[in-house]
Amino acid sequence: MTGPRLGLWCDGVPRRALVLCGILLAVLLAAPLALNSYLLSVLILVLYFAYTGQAWNVMMGFAGQLSLGHSLYIGLGAYTAAALFMHFGINPWVGSLAAMVVAAAFGAAVGYLAFRFGIGGVYFALLTIAFAEFTRIGFDHFPWVGGAGGLFLKVVGKGRFDLLHLRGSAVMFYYLLLALTVAAFLLCHRLMRSKIGYYWLAIREDQDAAQALGIHTFRYKMYAVLLSSAMTALGGVFYAFYYNNLFPEQIFSMERSVEIVLGPIIGGLGTLFGPLLGAFVLTVLAEGLRDLLSALGLALPGATQVFYGVCLLAVIVFLPDGIWPGLRRLLGLDRAAGPGPKREG
Amino acid sequence: MSEKNSASSGQAPRRGLTRRAFNAGAAVSAALVSSGAAMRLARAQDAALKVGVLLPRSGMQGAVGQACQRGVDLAPELLRQLGYSVKLDLVSVDFESNVDQARAQAEKLIAGGANLLIGAFDSGATSAIAQVAEQKGVPLVINIAAAPQITQQGYKYVFRNFPTAPTLVRDGLSLMKDFFVATGHTPKTAVYMHVNDTFGQAMNGAIGKMLPGLNMPFKVVENISYDPAARDLSVEVAKAKASGAELVMLTSRLNDAILLVREMVKQRYSPMGIISPGSPGMYEDQFYATLGKYSDYCTTNVPWYNPHEPMAAHVLSAFHKRWPKDRPAGYIFNIGFTFEAILIAADAYARAKSTNGKALADALRTTHIDKHMMVGGPIVFDAQGQNENVHSVVLENLQQQPRVVLPVAAAEAKPVFPMVPWNQRS
Repeated sequence: MTGPRLGLWCDGVPRRALVLCGILLAVLLAAPLALNSYLLSVLILVLYFAYTGQAWNVMMGFAGQLSLGHSLYIGLGAYTAAALFMHFGINPWVGSLAAMVVAAAFGAAVGYLAFRFGIGGVYFALLTIAFAEFTRIGFDHFPWVGGAGGLFLKVVGKGRFDLLHLRGSAVMFYYLLLALTVAAFLLCHRLMRSKIGYYWLAIREDQDAAQALGIHTFRYKMYAVLLSSAMTALGGVFYAFYYNNLFPEQIFSMERSVEIVLGPIIGGLGTLFGPLLGAFVLTVLAEGLRDLLSALGLALPGATQVFYGVCLLAVIVFLPDGIWPGLRRLLGLDRAAGPGPKREG
Repeated sequence: MSEKNSASSGQAPRRGLTRRAFNAGAAVSAALVSSGAAMRLARAQDAALKVGVLLPRSGMQGAVGQACQRGVDLAPELLRQLGYSVKLDLVSVDFESNVDQARAQAEKLIAGGANLLIGAFDSGATSAIAQVAEQKGVPLVINIAAAPQITQQGYKYVFRNFPTAPTLVRDGLSLMKDFFVATGHTPKTAVYMHVNDTFGQAMNGAIGKMLPGLNMPFKVVENISYDPAARDLSVEVAKAKASGAELVMLTSRLNDAILLVREMVKQRYSPMGIISPGSPGMYEDQFYATLGKYSDYCTTNVPWYNPHEPMAAHVLSAFHKRWPKDRPAGYIFNIGFTFEAILIAADAYARAKSTNGKALADALRTTHIDKHMMVGGPIVFDAQGQNENVHSVVLENLQQQPRVVLPVAAAEAKPVFPMVPWNQRS
């Protein structure tokens, strides 16, 4: 039984890639033993952006639908689970399900409006921004969740470990997020090699041709939106219980949407490792630049962002497909790869 | 050797401790112990308290964070002038107006040996930092952040020297009544104009809840919200004028406050007064520079420095020395509260005589600073770590300068109300 089951997940994956994945996972599992709390918090940020980037990648990287309003789903997920926990004491795991349903419902509304009426490309992106914005304004006036004054969760005391209620230390949240990231990675890997993955690829590359071939484009684009929004909502639940405070202005902000998008773009759009690599590079680059500028005595306000922007420009100019495709070639992983969609990773 | 010498002298060898030897040993030990303790104490006092200051010096809140940073820049010299001999190693960190960064940078500061944290202007960021501080047992002194929940979490290491949002609004409204009593003129009707951003909506909600309970002497006849980025507010001002309200109650930002007053002058709408129950805009440099004489008599009820406190004079003098081209009005609110947070840290360290987090927190809990810069009673923290003695003042623009006109104890000028109509200003 084990063979076929493993085969389901490892089908077409080169042995070298499996070994590297195993090493990476082992390193990530052991990381809290070696890192101080600051580096652990940086790693949590890496995983958070890797996870949400992976969720966004389903919509844009796989199905070709550009969303610039993914903070909508982060915010909805965060607020739903946090409000249920705070007002009714509902376990955050149960709250997560509700969060996914609410986010998916909003995703369905966005998707239906756009795909039913043929809104695509930048107009679709504008629609996603509009939804995030009016939801932010709505939450500013929603007293049940604190309105503009914010929603605060009771913070736990030192040393408490309560996985059931997501109350605990940074290490607990780290492993939780690592599990989420791995699960999202495996799910996306599976989807990419399934019928739905190939349909998404066809839609992404040429929607008219896909439709001519008999693919129900509306349905499959909706699937991408629903899955992506529900997955992103889980990231929001994590955010709510890790930071313990939510403000509409921050959680639904355009800036947050852009943060989500950057990882997959820099790492490699439509690839599996792209979001993970992009999140790692961007977060570590930002932290490294901060330290470097500080050591050079150039820690002026905004200097980090300027250098960060220059580095991003360099990546986009010199590696337009992102970092992962080049790195994959360098590691010799593309040679051994079996048949599969182009740019898969 | 000693045994041999004893034997040769014909005396029985002494195996036990003699009284003389015991006394000598005890004296030496006592001297060593006490000198060690003294050395440790001296070392503790000589050691610098590493203070991590977290501010949003770039990003959306960059301007405010940089204003707060001026308080940090002035602090070492000011503390020396005020006679604080404790050494502070102030490490400022920019969290880029980003909550994720605020938490990560707090972790970094603590990992780097920070004994105490100060920050962070924004309530979301401050809340994230507070969790880290509490978990690590490192005290956090909040300079500015108004969300009441931050000090309602049962934290042991979090202290706030800033009023909560409800206190700000309540003070802002109550002072209006004092203002009317002091001038002998009371408007009967008011229009409430406010920006429709997060801050404006929060103020609108709080005012809506509190107004009925405060028995204000006027009736709010119209509530007008507008976009803070609007380029034209003629319709809003026309609506306010049409309401016939005698008072304009305003929650604004800078640019819209300028636009509003300009439009009121243009439309010849001259109410008895324009009063903000606690928002920025009307006491900022650009407001005076752009509006000139029309900036006068606009009033803001806001926490402010006490012009009669010698410490405030010290701070203003240091400000003028360091930034001779800048007017302090646009910075002093942020400088004042940030400097006071550092003052609180220095005071606690001087009493704790230790960089240990628990010792510092214990010292912070017993803080009692009578002489400080901002208007209010002595700086003391209640069981929740909140200083309830910070109060707002009535700040009226007179001769294109913000002047404290109430409370009387802090006043530097007499309140003027109703304001001089636009067309009668020379």
